[in-house]
Amino acid sequence: MAPSNQAIPVVLHAFTAIAFCLVCSLWVSLGSEPVVSVSKSESVPKFELDIQPILTARGCNSGPCHGKSRGQNGFALSLFGFDSDMDYDSLVKNARGRRISLANPHESLLLTKATGELPHGGGIRLRTDDEDYKTLSRWIETGLNRSTPQDPVLTKLDIQPEPRQLAPNESIEIRVMATYSDGSQRDVTQVTSYQSSDNGILATKHPGLLVAGAYVGEASVMTRYMGHIATWNSAVVATRNHKPEDYASLPQHNWIDGLVYQKLEQLDFWPSDLCSDEIFLRRLFVDAIGRLPRPDEVTAFMADPSPEKRNQWIEYVLNQPEYANFWANKWADLLRPNPYRVGIKATYSLDTWLRDSFRNNLPHDQFVRELLTAQGSTWRNGATTFFRDRREPEEITSVVSQLFLGVRLECAKCHQHPFEVYSQSDFYGIAAYFSKIGQKGVGLSPPISGGEEIFFVKSSGDVKHPITQKPVPPKPLREQEISIDTETDPRQVFADWLLKSDNPYFSRAAVNRLWGEVMGIGIVDAIDDFRATNPPSNALLLDRLAEHFVQTGFDNKELLKTIFSSRIYQLSSIPNESNKLDYRNFSRHYRKRMRAEVLADALSDVTGVPTSFEGTPAGTKAMELWTFRIPSELLDAFSRPDANQDPPCERLADTTMSQSLHLMNSSQIQGRLTSDEGLCAELASKETEPRELVKAIYLRVYSRLPSMDEYRQISDVIQSANNKRHAIEDIVWSMINSPEFSFID
Amino acid sequence: MQRRTYLKLGLAGLAGGSFTDLLALRAVNANDALSEGKSATKPSSCILIWMDGGPTHFETFDPKPDAPAEIRGDFRPIKTNVSGIEICEHLPQLAKIADKYSIIRSVCHNQGNHGAGNHYMMTGAPPRIPVGCGAFVSFHPSMGSVAAYERQAPHGLPSYFTMPSMSRSGGPNFLGAKYAPFIVANDPNSKHFRVRDVELPNGLASERFQARRDLRSLVDTMPRFASRETFDPVAAYDDNYEQGYELVLTPDAQKAFDIEKESEDLRERYGRNSFGQRALLARRLVEAGVPFITIYDGGWDHHSDLFGALATRLPSWDQTVATLISDLDQRGLLETTMVIALGEFGRTPKISTLPGQTKPGRDHWANAMSILFAGGGSRGGQVIGATDRQGYAPVERVLSPENYISTVYRKLGIDPNKIYHTPAGRPTHLVSDPTPIAELM
Repeated sequence: MAPSNQAIPVVLHAFTAIAFCLVCSLWVSLGSEPVVSVSKSESVPKFELDIQPILTARGCNSGPCHGKSRGQNGFALSLFGFDSDMDYDSLVKNARGRRISLANPHESLLLTKATGELPHGGGIRLRTDDEDYKTLSRWIETGLNRSTPQDPVLTKLDIQPEPRQLAPNESIEIRVMATYSDGSQRDVTQVTSYQSSDNGILATKHPGLLVAGAYVGEASVMTRYMGHIATWNSAVVATRNHKPEDYASLPQHNWIDGLVYQKLEQLDFWPSDLCSDEIFLRRLFVDAIGRLPRPDEVTAFMADPSPEKRNQWIEYVLNQPEYANFWANKWADLLRPNPYRVGIKATYSLDTWLRDSFRNNLPHDQFVRELLTAQGSTWRNGATTFFRDRREPEEITSVVSQLFLGVRLECAKCHQHPFEVYSQSDFYGIAAYFSKIGQKGVGLSPPISGGEEIFFVKSSGDVKHPITQKPVPPKPLREQEISIDTETDPRQVFADWLLKSDNPYFSRAAVNRLWGEVMGIGIVDAIDDFRATNPPSNALLLDRLAEHFVQTGFDNKELLKTIFSSRIYQLSSIPNESNKLDYRNFSRHYRKRMRAEVLADALSDVTGVPTSFEGTPAGTKAMELWTFRIPSELLDAFSRPDANQDPPCERLADTTMSQSLHLMNSSQIQGRLTSDEGLCAELASKETEPRELVKAIYLRVYSRLPSMDEYRQISDVIQSANNKRHAIEDIVWSMINSPEFSFID
Repeated sequence: MQRRTYLKLGLAGLAGGSFTDLLALRAVNANDALSEGKSATKPSSCILIWMDGGPTHFETFDPKPDAPAEIRGDFRPIKTNVSGIEICEHLPQLAKIADKYSIIRSVCHNQGNHGAGNHYMMTGAPPRIPVGCGAFVSFHPSMGSVAAYERQAPHGLPSYFTMPSMSRSGGPNFLGAKYAPFIVANDPNSKHFRVRDVELPNGLASERFQARRDLRSLVDTMPRFASRETFDPVAAYDDNYEQGYELVLTPDAQKAFDIEKESEDLRERYGRNSFGQRALLARRLVEAGVPFITIYDGGWDHHSDLFGALATRLPSWDQTVATLISDLDQRGLLETTMVIALGEFGRTPKISTLPGQTKPGRDHWANAMSILFAGGGSRGGQVIGATDRQGYAPVERVLSPENYISTVYRKLGIDPNKIYHTPAGRPTHLVSDPTPIAELM
């Protein structure tokens, strides 16, 4: 359950694309039309109103240039201009004032560098005949004025026209309008940054021109101007092949189906068929409890005549003991620390707390409250290990916001969030709730860190705003500051806000995570990146799931049951002509590879020889390991989180060549296939009909019965073999090296 | 999922916008890096000898014979075949070929513990937050992972090897598991040496492997999607098997691992010990086209018994490294292969004895260190920079880890000024100061 475990290698490209796009849109504006200004003060430009927008539009204060925290070549600006005081000082006062020449404005480094008259690492950003050049010179000539309280301030950003659907390859001109406190407006289309949530669907060709791609789908284009954001959400829809009544006649298992169909209808995606019983059973077992169904379970299910059997088996599977270990293992990805840092005992006690929580199906709100308000000894209350690992309010804020608000606030720690409205006051407002955590006992002493530490609530403590250096009062996200009396643990107040039934973040973040885990992709993707500029693929469904979760008292199992029972969960992964390009509206099931521990335990089950893990009792399952530090080539190859990484939570869903090589050639796997104690030896020793052997193997490895062809072909292989045991080993080898084994279809 | 989809769409030339341009850009870069003809110089491979623990600069490449006894230590310098360059008396073989390598004496930094020092010297980025001494941390991709990300080895060979284990901070960080090092844990000095997973398991005849391959196509009936535009993770899985089969079945690739092919004489010269044979295996991997190989060589943290330990260790280390450089040179490979030896920092000028110990040693010292740098088209026979007379700090050509790492990247054919984006969308310079060391370029 990594914060963004969906197809990671890919994420990299996506964000590269985003940032590239940002840069792109900036340079595009270079040779373009001057700003059309409605109320622009022609005589006296002001720094905040007129100059900072130019620095932003020309890319001066972007991350790769002077906006990075150390600046570039000694000249630092705040990222995208969020700190006007700093930027003003940087330009006017620092470097002994040589960036500006009042006596001879055109000699100012600000201008000579930007125009390339003097060598500039960032290249030519401005031409002397640009309107912006004139504005900058005039600003210097008129005395470097800053805005005064009487000057209008930017109040909002709008995009015209209103969003609408587009046809493939259609383009549309938009205008971005900035409105000021005096009611005046400016057209800022040319100086705005653009970012599409999906450039394949809808891209910005040049400022103000949006172009739809060849395929159907949805995208949101964000525009950002001086810390204000406006978005334009659109769907690209082709010719309709299905009518509303077609969708109305689709079978529904529960309300999830109707909400998904509603969305599919808008985009004209037609859902795939229901998956077969065998595929359903294997999918359900692995998604719900992380193990393959046993042969006896497969045959019992297949023989079950009840029309209600899928629902009955959902109930059965969720009540298996593996449930707790499987879900604790997922949460361990998010919370498990490096034992070299916090100590073995503290790591182990966190692991115990996690497993107990899921064994008792602790309601999710209680689980989160126990974690966030944990007190006492790291040796007795495993939840306190979280605070032993994340020791500063700032660290806690990053994790808590990502896990439980679904918001990546960390950017706002050092600067205004580049894609969102969040600012430093939002970040430190949450950090303030975690400013009174007291520690006594033995702190960290890597690499052993064996001591016991006690956590308690201190009577005082605060966090300081990094710019003003003033204490920041606690503040719920995007709400007003509050005050908390000194007797109360501020973390309890935070938990009260977070866990109340109408909190807009918590339940949505929670259901999206659970949905993403079993469906292969979140309704919001990445799973923990909620923001206006990354809208959910199905907002109604997300809202309704969240509501349902609250109504059931935050019951994880109940929510899983609802999802598993839906027809949507039970769809086949095989696309049809209409939905072959749907990758996030759930018109078909999305295939995924088994995660490392599931695969390791499946190999143990299939070969009949358990994996042995160092320092654990014989028969310990991969799912039961309490630390990522227990050596395993197999788990590493299949991308369990790297305990050396900080934070150690990235788990990659992709396939690699090392994985293939390991399954093909690993001497450990080969050893288990050939073991005298293993399944292959056992099957070979029996005087069983070849057909029965084939059946036993297929039930065990693929969790299904063989087809007629498979019965015949594989029996032939066994019959014609000189060495029956080798033949069986080879068959099992071939099957575990096939995607039907390692993928959940 | 979504991104992979558009990767495909983009490549098919169907989707407009900057993402496609980006892909095109990457493709162009990759071609540049790989094609020998187009770029001015062929990108080099790198054999990184990682002396974990922090080797002393005094007893290796920066002796201080004129310093007071408590600084200069027990060893004496010797002359090399380049006049004016002197190194430690226990490195006689390297002394004979000083014209083949450079010594950098002026790289320094401020991360005095193992975890942080490893991170800085292995990735070019100082750790973002203070880290503990024993810590294994990763905040930035290592050089090897970046090399694997930017360059591809032939015949399905992995692009980044490390033996016998990954060094601290030697991982891919945000680049992802695909670019993690391929670890050769087994000892090539052992009679039964095998590289795990790339060769058929013991006792499995190759005919049987072929039979398994045929059988696999019989039992693999999972439907693949008809439309190539539909994202199917199984397609990537199929590619991995093709690459895996190629590696397992290509004699040229397998030959790289077959150290038995080397003459006894050469194996002796490299040294019949694990380190020596790893160096030889590294040379074979370079010949097979692998761009980055780390030889992890631990145990250089000599807080005590510095002189006793080094008097035994240095001669055999010297033998191996000198043979590696000469062997590459004789094969005409040194021009396109870097051999670099260093650790995370140097060691304290003043010799001291830890409480409870009887034999003296030196402690961690990031203010000065020495780096041996050979090949990759760099000029040999030079010393770059100098420390003061007592080896406390550089006084000439003060260089940073960033300068050193930028040099390695440039020689690998990778622009150190490149901007990567983390999964959180944050732009990150590959190296914050991309200036290479001019004397080596």
